[in-house]
Amino acid sequence: MEKKKYSIKEDFSMLALLIIPVGVAVNFVGGQLASLLKLPMYLDTIGTIFASMLCGPWVGAVTGALTNIVTGIANPVNFAFIPVNVLAGLVTGFLARGKMFSVWWKWILSMLIMAVVSIISSAPIVVLVYGGVTGSGTSLITAAAMAAGANIWAAFFGTEGIFTVLDRIISFLICWAVIKVIPARTLVKFGCGSNYIKDNK
Amino acid sequence: MEKSYIEKIQIHKTNKVAGLHPATKFLVVIMYTICTFVLSSVSLTKIGLPLLAIPWFLVVLLLCAASGALNKCLKALKAVVFIALIIFVVQTFLVPGGEVLVRFGFLKICEKGLRTAISLSFMILDIAGIFVWLFQTTENKEISRALEESGMNYKAAYVFTSTLQMINILSDNSKTIMNAQRARGVETEGNMLIRAKAFFPTLVPLVLGAVMGSEERVLTLEARGFSMQGEKTHLFNLEKSGAEGAFKVVSILITVLVVVGRIALWIL
Amino acid sequence: MDIIMECKNVTYSYPLTKKPAIKDLNLKLERGKFYGVIGENGSGKTTLCAVLRGFAPSFYKGEMEGEVLVEGKKIGEYGGELAKKIGFVFQNPFTQISGVKDTVFEEVAYGLENFGVPVEEIERRVVDVMKMTDIEHLAEKSPFELSGGQMQRVALASVIVLEPDLLIIDEPTSQLDPEGTESVFAIIQKMKEKHKTIVLVEHKIDLIAEYADEVLVFKDGTMIANGDKKEILSDMSLLEQGAALPQVAILGRKLQEKGLSLSTIPVTEKQAVEVIAEALKERKRS
Repeated sequence: MEKKKYSIKEDFSMLALLIIPVGVAVNFVGGQLASLLKLPMYLDTIGTIFASMLCGPWVGAVTGALTNIVTGIANPVNFAFIPVNVLAGLVTGFLARGKMFSVWWKWILSMLIMAVVSIISSAPIVVLVYGGVTGSGTSLITAAAMAAGANIWAAFFGTEGIFTVLDRIISFLICWAVIKVIPARTLVKFGCGSNYIKDNK
Repeated sequence: MEKSYIEKIQIHKTNKVAGLHPATKFLVVIMYTICTFVLSSVSLTKIGLPLLAIPWFLVVLLLCAASGALNKCLKALKAVVFIALIIFVVQTFLVPGGEVLVRFGFLKICEKGLRTAISLSFMILDIAGIFVWLFQTTENKEISRALEESGMNYKAAYVFTSTLQMINILSDNSKTIMNAQRARGVETEGNMLIRAKAFFPTLVPLVLGAVMGSEERVLTLEARGFSMQGEKTHLFNLEKSGAEGAFKVVSILITVLVVVGRIALWIL
Repeated sequence: MDIIMECKNVTYSYPLTKKPAIKDLNLKLERGKFYGVIGENGSGKTTLCAVLRGFAPSFYKGEMEGEVLVEGKKIGEYGGELAKKIGFVFQNPFTQISGVKDTVFEEVAYGLENFGVPVEEIERRVVDVMKMTDIEHLAEKSPFELSGGQMQRVALASVIVLEPDLLIIDEPTSQLDPEGTESVFAIIQKMKEKHKTIVLVEHKIDLIAEYADEVLVFKDGTMIANGDKKEILSDMSLLEQGAALPQVAILGRKLQEKGLSLSTIPVTEKQAVEVIAEALKERKRS
């Protein structure tokens, strides 16, 4: 099969432009729902992951950035986390292009990569800008660990790690469940959509 | 004569500060942020605390009050204050280093802890605070229009505005779906696994519906001339309150003074 | 004959499918005429709309042979400008909103803003169209608070305000209640009076019989009949092909078979009453 070529201009098709607001809104609603159901995860990157899986890294990055810009309107502290969400979009998008969501062992690998990237990129921001504590549920655990004498970095990685992996697993499963039911006729209109269509040949 | 529809969608503000053109407000925000960084690098007292960042926050409150939106801003500031407070407490008690200043039982406050506590928490409070002022005194519609005016591509401006609407729509939809799923017997309480499972039947149909809707929205937009080349008209236009010049001059002047003062401190 | 649009040997298939959704279509649309499109589900009616508006293949992708000409120029050459020529309204009223406007007034004005029409002219045109489509009382409401019927009227108004030469309307009432259907057809009636060229896909055959000048019948992607509505809608052989015909036309044929000599086969209720009354009077006299 011929290797598919991607261009940034084509990435931002009309349809991709309209997926960006959907992605941001899904991030928002996911986060809201997670706190409503009292889940110990943020689940606020589902839209970014979804947009990246369908439309590639650049659309994903914009979705990520816009999410934090828009939520920053209500709480400007979110501005500081723009790079984390942008990176999540980029990494997921490149994984999608590399067909890293095709078989089960590749999913697991991809999810681990996504979780690691998220932790590594948010760690310096949380530690340097906020001194390790952002006021969220998990950050209290981090604070407790620090009080018990743990190193600030170790405390952060330890508590964030498990929940981030769980977060990515749930987020990915949701995206997968949606993509599976989108008709092939619609999927082909997305930049990376054809990667999810089973060949009938 | 009855007001025309176009007249009705305009935003008129009587308050000169709240009614500043968004671009001017943004300039004020940038200048204030620069000053915040400079001021918190100034160490006072003999243990070197960055105390200037504390009174500097009064500027935010002053601006909010002058805009006639103090209550609204204070409400929005709650979340920021909460975070700043936690950071302050955690840093004060947990960061070791330097001389021990106070000791309560097993807790102790060190020099370095107090220093980072003040600098981090007030820097966040100041910067987040000035953005709160900007966003609480400016409507989303004004921000979108200001972005277009500043030369942003119409597609990007569309994405921004549409995002703000989409959040409201999907949040409403998610509530409807969640209630419907509850009525069908999906459990939303119980142990974590049960709660995590409830996440799926709400979110999957929501996302799917939104994606399929986007496909048709492309057709709608094309039918309305979204991709037409050439100049577009805007029914909604931004107004100036008349105080723009004064605010620009004053904010730049203060910033220059602060920077010059800082440099002078270094040299002296 | 003034031809506004022409399809020459058009065959179109959606991506990932082997069977074409439209086969060997040759069609000329005459300016000012009202075309009703009928056929079973999946017979290619919606695809026809997409092809005529240029969305297939540009948006739907897939493969197309033959050419579609708008006023003699290839449809692909118009680009975004096509919105000026062709208005497009489809089934789902809830996705036909721009998603960036707070009031119905602004929603209807959105297309004119994109066209770069001067502000004063926008106000005038939008108010006129809102009056015509009976939505002026909704002008300051949010587009998201409307009922399906109201929303579909707003969608029609938003397209009509652009004054396109050709209107393509794909099953505008399939998701509406009878009241909503009536209000939408009241608007279509007004467009007909203005001698707009209209292509309407509609399941409710009686509405087609009432409004259309010509009828196009589709089956499995092929146009199996087209022509004057009276001829087509009284052609009983189409029943065997799965097309729906008006009840009164079938009644007319049956009466004719039973020996009642009708001057013509009626297609609308009003005609039926006239024609049958006339035939009965004739019979009494003889």
